[in-house]
Amino acid sequence: MLEPRQIQQLHSLLETQRVATDVATLQSHGLDWTRYYTPAPAAVVFPKTTEEVAALVRWATQEKVALVPSGGRTGLSGGAVATQGEVVVSFDRMNAILDFNPVDRTVRCQAGVVTAQLQDFAADQGLYYPVDFASSGSSQIGGNIATNAGGIKVVRYGMTREWVAGLKVVTGTGEVLELNQGLAKNNTGYDFRHLFIGSEGTLGFIVEATMQLTRPPAPLSVMVLAVPALAGIMEVFNAFRQRLDLTAFEFFSEKALRHVLARGQVQRPFEGESDYYVLLEFECVNSTTEETALSLFEECMEAGWLVDGVLSQSEEQARALWRLREDISESITPYRPYKNDIAVRVSAVPPFVEALDAVLAREYPDFEVVWFGHIGDGNLHINVLKPDALALDGFREACERVNAEVFALVRRFGGSMSAEHGVGLLKRDYLDVTRSPEDIALMRGVKAVFDPLGIMNPGKLLA
Amino acid sequence: MKVLVAVKRVVDYNVKVRVKADGSDVDIANVKMSMNPFDEIAVEEAVRLKEAGKATEIVAVSMGVKQCEETLRTALAMGADRAILVETDAELQPLAVAKLLKEVVAKEQPQLVIVGKQAIDDDSNQTGQMLSALLGWAQGTFASKVDLADASVDVTREVDGGLETVKLKLPAVVTTDLRLNEPRYVKLPNIMAAKKKPLDKTTPADLGVDVTPRLKTLKVAEPAKRSAGVKVASAAELVAKLKNEAKVL
Ligand SMILES: Cc1cc2nc3c(=O)[nH]c(=O)nc-3n(C[C@H](O)[C@H](O)[C@H](O)COP(=O)(O)OP(=O)(O)OC[C@H]3O[C@@H](n4cnc5c(N)ncnc54)[C@H](O)[C@@H]3O)c2cc1C
Ligand SMILES: Cc1cc2nc3c(=O)[nH]c(=O)nc-3n(C[C@H](O)[C@H](O)[C@H](O)COP(=O)(O)OP(=O)(O)OC[C@H]3O[C@@H](n4cnc5c(N)ncnc54)[C@H](O)[C@@H]3O)c2cc1C
Repeated sequence: MLEPRQIQQLHSLLETQRVATDVATLQSHGLDWTRYYTPAPAAVVFPKTTEEVAALVRWATQEKVALVPSGGRTGLSGGAVATQGEVVVSFDRMNAILDFNPVDRTVRCQAGVVTAQLQDFAADQGLYYPVDFASSGSSQIGGNIATNAGGIKVVRYGMTREWVAGLKVVTGTGEVLELNQGLAKNNTGYDFRHLFIGSEGTLGFIVEATMQLTRPPAPLSVMVLAVPALAGIMEVFNAFRQRLDLTAFEFFSEKALRHVLARGQVQRPFEGESDYYVLLEFECVNSTTEETALSLFEECMEAGWLVDGVLSQSEEQARALWRLREDISESITPYRPYKNDIAVRVSAVPPFVEALDAVLAREYPDFEVVWFGHIGDGNLHINVLKPDALALDGFREACERVNAEVFALVRRFGGSMSAEHGVGLLKRDYLDVTRSPEDIALMRGVKAVFDPLGIMNPGKLLA
Repeated sequence: MKVLVAVKRVVDYNVKVRVKADGSDVDIANVKMSMNPFDEIAVEEAVRLKEAGKATEIVAVSMGVKQCEETLRTALAMGADRAILVETDAELQPLAVAKLLKEVVAKEQPQLVIVGKQAIDDDSNQTGQMLSALLGWAQGTFASKVDLADASVDVTREVDGGLETVKLKLPAVVTTDLRLNEPRYVKLPNIMAAKKKPLDKTTPADLGVDVTPRLKTLKVAEPAKRSAGVKVASAAELVAKLKNEAKVL
């Protein structure tokens, strides 16, 4: 907890109304999307400028107070969570788009700009910001960069990292750094920009970002395909990407689909059930694109990898089909899902899923396991739903045991225990599944350089 | 019973259209085009009538440029049996479309014509009514339910006060409203099968219809930009603003 003196000091650094200590704000801004922690920050502050952020950091180093950077709080790993009297630094008020350069095709914006705001801004300029996911209406650019967010277009456009042309950051000592200045080429030694991308608020604050935009894609068509057996999925992926510019390749199970349909907002894509579905999206560059897609469908059908499928005939249908995939996360929220976000090499997906499915069915027959994910990136979201009969605590304990099994497999397959959601608090103790002891020791070394006093988001990512 | 449905190729509902620099029209170059959503509903209704054993044949008709073939292929993939394209690069206004449809009806002799209540590009809401007048047939507009019998059709219409059901003697014209049905997705195998279904072409000249526009567009303008919201400090201030500035109280 902060002393009254320290609260006074915060008031002198920021306007009084931008220092919140009321219960509602402490509760709302002490948590991200994970619902496993009890928020207990000492205060939530809302800076408006880089200078204010730097002053807050200098204050925190003097007073030895821990700071938690907070963006849109849609994170899924407990990164923007304050459970031990930290001061939460929210970027809600740093949400201005500062500058647009049509020749560079870059936008300079404050870290609190919401992802959808950047997407819309780009569209208004006749351009495109391609990083997209179901939380883009709330997540912030700063949070996206701090987690190197991926999403539904990674197959084509890569992760957030690909789109960061420059950063302004405040380090854990209060230094302000300009990283890469929006340059396309800049081989002048270590690129700290890339260290801050994915650093989950543990090195410093991202206060501004220069984001790269691109030309918008041609009209997009969406297919939802019925895939009876796992092994077929990657064959379909291979066949389609050989001849089409895929912008998305997603997968979900019949169980996942049922949860979406149960909400009564969208209809089943076609009659008949299939164990697995693939949603793929491609640019319809010209009239031959659709011909190509159709002949690919035919070939995959003849090979027995596919049994049925639909093709969107309008943007409206494309959106409705996307909802079959994008609404999954929300539709299972009431079941308190225990989420794993793992990645293996694309080629290893079918054997991995098969092995894991067998383990789960054997060890946890009463748990409903919902699969979906960005399978074109080898990225699977595994959601274990809480059975009604089980209390939350008992469920969590059981899930930690499931975790051990999941992660043993991830290790065996040389995969990642967090593909795109980051590590935060939730996955911190499993870091060694993917990173070697030497790796982790060097990460600590890097953290000590930027944040020698350990005030930046302590306890997240590294114990 | 033969059913005729009209389908129009329009700028996709989700496209944010831009006005051409000279204000003559909206710019449709490189813009996603789709079937008019109300026509999708018309096709769906016809297919359901066929699936229920009430319709025997569905003929889809489109009027316009060559690319309308794509729209017709969609209708065929949804379940229409045959398609007719009345091909022309001319601008088509509702009266011309109604006249063309009248000629197609004369050739095809359907008992029921289903069209959308409006097309989402020009929002005219005229074609169905004009067609029924030209044919001298009964009309049931804004249908939210269609009950087809041998010699008549009951059409439930969405009107201001609620629902109204009218009984029309066949042959008749029905226009579709949003709640009539939820169109199905188009299955890929059906898209392939649709390529083999017949698509005949004709022209306004062949049908003996003069499609010269009767109306002239003077100017197309962007809608006024919405001004940003303001925060008020109190209920009193809100009421004052609603009274004095918005003038809604
Ligand atoms: C429905 C749903 C779907 C999702 N889908 C995806 C998906 O497909 N792909 C994906 O990658 N993620 C996905 N996510 C996760 C989440 O949206 C992303 O991780 C997002 O990038 C987090 O942004 P945020 O602004 O909400 O960050 P927060 O949750 O506020 O913070 C995330 C981390 O970044 C740090 N941080 C935030 N702002 C700053 C800053 N300015 N400077 C330094 N550090 C900062 C925080 O301390 C924390 O460690 C999804 C989440 C939801 C709820
Ligand atoms: C005619 C010509 C044209 C060129 N055009 C371009 C161009 O268009 N774009 C461009 O970027 N560069 C260009 N270069 C520069 C050069 O070719 C590149 O920098 C190239 O990548 C250097 O590779 P190298 O193996 O020759 O490295 P070296 O010159 O041998 O070494 C370069 C640096 O890398 C280090 N290094 C080498 N091998 C290793 C290793 N295995 N592990 C760790 N460090 C290592 C060295 O210590 C040194 O610091 C050009 C050079 C010439 C002569």
